[in-house]
Amino acid sequence: MTSRRMSLGNRLLWRLLPAAPAAVVLIAWSIYWEIARPPPSIMPSILAVIQTAGELTIGGRLPGDVLASMARLLGGAMFGIVTGVIAGFIAGLHRPTSEFFNPLVVFFNAISGIVWLPLVIGWLGLGTALAIFLIWNTVFFIVFQNTVLGVQLVPEVLEQGVRTLGASRWETIRSVTLPGALPYILSGVRSGLGFGWRALIAAELVGATTGLGQMIFSGAEYHRADIIIFGCLLIGAIAMAMDRWLLVPIEKRTVRRWGLVAQGRGR
Amino acid sequence: MIRATRDLRVLLPFILLIAVWWGIKAGADVSDRLLVSPPAVWSSFSYLVTHGILAEYASTSLWMIGAATIISFSVGVPLGFAVGTNRYAARALEGSLRFLQGISGIAWLPLAILWFGFTHTTTLVIVIYTLIVPIVFNTMTGVRAIPENYVLALRSLGASRLRIVRDVYLPGALPSIVVGTRLGMGYGWRALIASEMLVRQGGLGDLIFGARTFNQIDRIMVGMAVIGLLYIIVDRLLVQPVESMTLARWGVLRR
Repeated sequence: MTSRRMSLGNRLLWRLLPAAPAAVVLIAWSIYWEIARPPPSIMPSILAVIQTAGELTIGGRLPGDVLASMARLLGGAMFGIVTGVIAGFIAGLHRPTSEFFNPLVVFFNAISGIVWLPLVIGWLGLGTALAIFLIWNTVFFIVFQNTVLGVQLVPEVLEQGVRTLGASRWETIRSVTLPGALPYILSGVRSGLGFGWRALIAAELVGATTGLGQMIFSGAEYHRADIIIFGCLLIGAIAMAMDRWLLVPIEKRTVRRWGLVAQGRGR
Repeated sequence: MIRATRDLRVLLPFILLIAVWWGIKAGADVSDRLLVSPPAVWSSFSYLVTHGILAEYASTSLWMIGAATIISFSVGVPLGFAVGTNRYAARALEGSLRFLQGISGIAWLPLAILWFGFTHTTTLVIVIYTLIVPIVFNTMTGVRAIPENYVLALRSLGASRLRIVRDVYLPGALPSIVVGTRLGMGYGWRALIASEMLVRQGGLGDLIFGARTFNQIDRIMVGMAVIGLLYIIVDRLLVQPVESMTLARWGVLRR
């Protein structure tokens, strides 16, 4: 609505604006680099970062690291989503259970993720199992809490209606509660994956020998700022791509398909 | 009487958990290098308390999160206002802020170590980065969610720019700012612990990661419990009351 009133030049400016911060950073970076010529371990040139990106991608360690990180995220998130949804349904459908366990949930939610690292290294050793545990631990609580909320917000009238028509308890859960809670569950999955990705990077810094987190951490050990900067940008790009092209479309579709159920009054 | 039974009910699941934990430890004969018994954790806790070790590590962490919150708040809120009240600035920065949100603070830790060494500065920079992004973002969205009519109404009555900021933007955006700060403190606390584990200059993260090197499982478990409890105490007793007060007083504008 705003662009219609603007002139062509203004419209062009409006379209280019989101690129402005990146452009400012790149310009400032190259000017600083030309003037100060800092050692490459502190601040590499933009060219060096691009070069490193190429070297790491073609025949370097990058593909293996990305694959390792993605596999861990997938494994931990799957595990977290399944357990979180199941536990969320149990707690959401049975109020005494959720009230009884709530203090534990509050406490373990407060220490979810990376805080477990020192203890769990002793149980699982360094590597994929440790990373999967930390991702599971992070994703579980977010999915769990969203599922409980979603289940509790499904109007009881709908469930009773289906039961009156002769459906069993299980059928009611499957055909009413599950689709009704799905939008909430998926928004939990979406933010869970975002936090799981963060937890993974943190876990890989010390708790693994492969993966993107380890790649940037060894960058610090070898005083290679170029590897770190490229790694951080890639970490951000993967998080953004995952959210925009995978999770947002799924969430939108679900809300369009089943979102209406959840708009009723809670119980 | 009712209060007492409620408090008891909060403890009940923990008693169950400790019983299960003790049962596993005693029944399965787990090595002390993997899991220690509840009394061992308790005696480690009282040792750490009586020797002042716990207070030292915990106060380092609390100082850090406090300083980072104050700095992030005093920089992030004005920045969020500047961006939120200007259409062009908002358009320019929104995408970049979203991108930065995808790079967790801890991912910048290797670079911060190269720049600032294994120092408190490194940790502080990481925690501020983690805190400031949600604060700026929420301030910005809070300001932008204010119906323009309120601003126009006040302006047509002859209010100055400062007056509009004070009477419309500030109260209108406050609930969102407080929510952003609370979220940021939650993320920041976790980033702080993670950063302390790697920087090793004091703090609860250093306590539990240092205990790992000597296989002091009892110390690790004490540290974890303290990290969780301190977070809950700060969040529930300090931040949440401010949030609900703000929402109750000024939250109407957001509907």
